[in-house]
Amino acid sequence: MTPLVVALNLSLCFCGLALMALSLDRHHRDVFGARVPAGRALPLRLGGWIAILGSLAAAMLVEGANFGPIQWIGALTGAGLAVVLILSYRPAWLRFAVFASLPMAALSLLLSLQS
Amino acid sequence: MRQGLRQSMAWLHAWSGLVVGWVLFAVFVTGTASYYKDDISAWMRPELRLGVEHEPGQVAERAAAFLAREAPDAGGWFIELPKAEDPVATAHWWKTLEGPFHKARLDPETGARSAARDTRGGDFLYRFHFELSMPPLTGRWVVGTCALVLLVALISGIVTHRRIFADLFTFRRSKARQRSWLDAHNVAGVLALPFHLMITYTGLVTLAPMYMPWGASTAYKGEELRFFTESGMMPETRMPAGRSGTLAPLGPMVREAIARAPATPIEGIGVQNPADAHAAVIAYFEEPHGLAHLHPQVAFEGTTGAYTGKPSDPGPVAYASTAFIGLHEAHFAGPVLRVLFFLCGILGAATVATGLVLWTVARVPKPGERTGFGLRLVQILNVGTVAGLPAGIAAYFLANRLLPLDLAGRAGVEIGAFFGLWALVAVAACLRPHRAAWREGLALAALLFLAVPLVDAATVGSPFGDGMRFLAFDTVMIAIGGGLAFAAHKAGSVARRGQAATARQDLAREGFGRA
Repeated sequence: MTPLVVALNLSLCFCGLALMALSLDRHHRDVFGARVPAGRALPLRLGGWIAILGSLAAAMLVEGANFGPIQWIGALTGAGLAVVLILSYRPAWLRFAVFASLPMAALSLLLSLQS
Repeated sequence: MRQGLRQSMAWLHAWSGLVVGWVLFAVFVTGTASYYKDDISAWMRPELRLGVEHEPGQVAERAAAFLAREAPDAGGWFIELPKAEDPVATAHWWKTLEGPFHKARLDPETGARSAARDTRGGDFLYRFHFELSMPPLTGRWVVGTCALVLLVALISGIVTHRRIFADLFTFRRSKARQRSWLDAHNVAGVLALPFHLMITYTGLVTLAPMYMPWGASTAYKGEELRFFTESGMMPETRMPAGRSGTLAPLGPMVREAIARAPATPIEGIGVQNPADAHAAVIAYFEEPHGLAHLHPQVAFEGTTGAYTGKPSDPGPVAYASTAFIGLHEAHFAGPVLRVLFFLCGILGAATVATGLVLWTVARVPKPGERTGFGLRLVQILNVGTVAGLPAGIAAYFLANRLLPLDLAGRAGVEIGAFFGLWALVAVAACLRPHRAAWREGLALAALLFLAVPLVDAATVGSPFGDGMRFLAFDTVMIAIGGGLAFAAHKAGSVARRGQAATARQDLAREGFGRA
């Protein structure tokens, strides 16, 4: 079902973009009050890429090669906007939001596989 | 080159964005609204009953009877059949393809003019998106020119932006105004950049055959229609014979077309030269789910009703060009994806609006200097457009509910309300100090949007009644009103003056404005 796949795309993109943002000193400081610890940036970025590409893969598997990328790009924009708004208005919430986004993704995946 | 590439690009970006910014803002806002064209139209005609099924063949015959009375000597007819969200038949007719084009909305049960209130609904905003309420061809040229400049502004903007990825999530609210505006402009522009590039390019492609007709007109001297049949856009039909003929009943043709066509519902019936011996009837179907904007069609001989064919299969180029149109219109988008498209459209409008504001903010005179005429003009046009257009749209919706139902020329008066409020805000922007004009213009637009659900409830009924048909529309009105109220509040807050000078230098270093 498409809405569930969009929810999956959104939560994975959100997770990925938030991890990307946290790999930057400026935003890491906003959220955790300190620069990115040594050796942490790479895993954060790697995790970010995995989530973002996972979102693309999911979109293309379900929606096909023509609609999948469109839906993925739309989800990137929507999730990116959410990351920006959280970072600039409620930065402390970002860590909870990142952790919440993974179960959200799993839930939408399960529900979309069921229907 | 006087300066580096990036500086030149910054100059190009600032000026190309400025000169077309006001038109582009209107194009983005009304285009974004057009993603919900049918929902707006349904809201603006609350008396129409939804969910009544009609046999398309009978409706087509009733509409044809109306057209035969109203326009027997027309060069062409087009009958839009009732659909779920707009349960009326619409008859269009014209003498020649140069126009003028007439239309009448018909009750599908009787074939007489529909009794629903006279309004142009979401169609007005949709046409405004690419014609700006000008004569159609002029409007399309203006919008196309602006879109071309937008493409220049987008690409020069990408080159100018030094840290696309590092600044992707950066919106420094707490910094000086200028810095925040630049961040907002960057974030809105970059987050939806794929959309901005896609929508600008596909928008140009949609009207490309109009902007650049020479290829087809050279290859098909005098027979441009063949271009459309050979590219698979329409089925083969005959040229008019010049002798009069009688059109056969449309009902059987509609039923046969449905039997021959794919599984999508029938959308409309076109009749070429209805009173000619070579009349042709073409049944149009909704496009199947896919990127391409290609309507399946089935053609008949008008006088006998004999089946004559379907369009040939489009070649790869025709398919690609219709896919661009499909991508632009996003008919394929389901409800959730549509929300994302809508969001991208709003980000587009926000990019233009923040860019326009940025131009003025980067040129605010230093203490003791006078505001020059150019800056003042840009300031006025900014308020007039960015606050005025939303106020006009809200007024359009309010007029739809408040004007007497039997008012003569009602649809025109609704549009008058749209332009009236827009002009009012623009005139107020000339008379009031700049900051006050922003605050008051945005506050007025916010109030008008917030009034829409109230007026709707008072005139048509509670949004929770009638199967909550208009609840979503009214909720969106409240959300837009809330957003504009927030903007008015922000515009009213006092600038942190101490930081202004540093930020100005900051901006100048990046090529915006002067130090």
